[in-house]
Amino acid sequence: MIFNEKPISIYDFDSWVKSNGKIEQMEAIRSIKSLHLLKESNEICILNPVFRKNLRNVLTGSEIGVSFGIPCDTDDLNKVDIEFLDNYASKKWETILHFMVGTELNEIPSAGVLSLLRHSGLMDGKTPKAMVITNEGFQFLLQDVNAQLWALLLQYLRMAESLQMDPVDVLNFIFMLGSLELGKDYSLSVLSETQLNMLEDLRDYGLIYQRKTTSKRFYPTRLATTLTSDSTTLRSASSAMNNVIKNANDNIGSNIENAGSIIIETNFKLYAYTNSPLQIAVLNLFVHLKSRFENLVTGQITRESVRKALLNGITADQIVSYLETHAHPQLRKLAEEQYEKKLEYDANTKEKLHILQPNITDQIKLWQLELDRILTWDGYLFTDFANDSEYQILQTYAEEIGVLLWFDHSKKKFFVTKEGNSQVIAYANRKLRKK
Amino acid sequence: MPRAIKGVLVECDASIRALIVRIDSERHDVVIQELDETHLLIDSTKVEFVKNELNRLLAKNTYNPLEEEELAAAN
Repeated sequence: MIFNEKPISIYDFDSWVKSNGKIEQMEAIRSIKSLHLLKESNEICILNPVFRKNLRNVLTGSEIGVSFGIPCDTDDLNKVDIEFLDNYASKKWETILHFMVGTELNEIPSAGVLSLLRHSGLMDGKTPKAMVITNEGFQFLLQDVNAQLWALLLQYLRMAESLQMDPVDVLNFIFMLGSLELGKDYSLSVLSETQLNMLEDLRDYGLIYQRKTTSKRFYPTRLATTLTSDSTTLRSASSAMNNVIKNANDNIGSNIENAGSIIIETNFKLYAYTNSPLQIAVLNLFVHLKSRFENLVTGQITRESVRKALLNGITADQIVSYLETHAHPQLRKLAEEQYEKKLEYDANTKEKLHILQPNITDQIKLWQLELDRILTWDGYLFTDFANDSEYQILQTYAEEIGVLLWFDHSKKKFFVTKEGNSQVIAYANRKLRKK
Repeated sequence: MPRAIKGVLVECDASIRALIVRIDSERHDVVIQELDETHLLIDSTKVEFVKNELNRLLAKNTYNPLEEEELAAAN
């Protein structure tokens, strides 16, 4: 289809694909259709001409495009390695996160970052000193880095328009960054005016590295190259939290141990030896905090407090693993003693070490299950079939294209998704009208 | 010709299904068809209502340790 200018009949697709790959085929067609790359009319398909031309260029390398960036021809005298880039990126990014939770920092993020945080509603306040984190900001902190980056970049895109920057250029550059290779240096020569302006901002977020502002080359960091993929970023959501907390404690210079400050009793009472505002803030997400002392907060885990967290998109597993990784050494010791006793009694026990009391973990998980007691799908119920064969034909078809959600042979009824409905109806019209 | 009915398919366990049917018994405008033990077809505009009702009904049967304390504090 890339090299063939003529439109193609929809039935030709079927002959290209083995019959057992039907579901995959439907999926593929559906996804390229939803991107408007493929137009279908009267059972004839046409590929978007711009997409076709560019894809052909990339495959054959005939015309030099900018979509994948231009690597530098000459060697950089001050070459940097991947490890350096990683450090650089996480340092920049963490500065932003730390600023958000109000950790005392030596350097605060640049004015560009601050106004971005303010405009995206993650923080409130006019002067850098007076800025405080909002509710959305907390949820933002719990997301993984990729989601955080995209949230900020989307906001950047919205702001770009008011700053008289061409949003298409901005978006182009973001996507280009996603397809660059980590650890390579790229030339600035092909970038437009707007994109050159962007460089400065992206440097502040830690997406790219430039040795000097006047440098003619830039390095994408891991944050940038994983933008368009879901492969592991610098760190996952929960480890991000741990990292932040670990560093927060280091920075405050308190003598509290990094991990290990939370004690939780079997009656769901919780004591946390901490004075880190971030850790207290995180606990506040799923614990009903009661009192706060110099180096201790107490609270209670309740159904309501856990539900609140769950509704905010935090999972039970996250809560449990948070409590486990931050469990007090005493709690850990107790759990290990019990575990050893169990091992003595039965050396082959398959049980794992439970740092938290099982009733706590179970209950938190139960509360999560309680929230999704029902599963719902929008769609259409097909009923009133005249005979078995009509039902069979349509039901098999719906199953083949992967839109069937429920069926009952004896009652001759089945349910398809909203998206699949039009396809099934079109098929029904083709098949059943013929007779 | 077969007929296609627009709606929302609900999958749940039998106890929840019974609760939904009970909610419907008061209003008769929620459930379109009862499909089987664990499936119901309901009106797509009523999904939020059903979820809220379920939460309300289920919340009745839970123990909240804080309530007692707060009551005690109030007295």
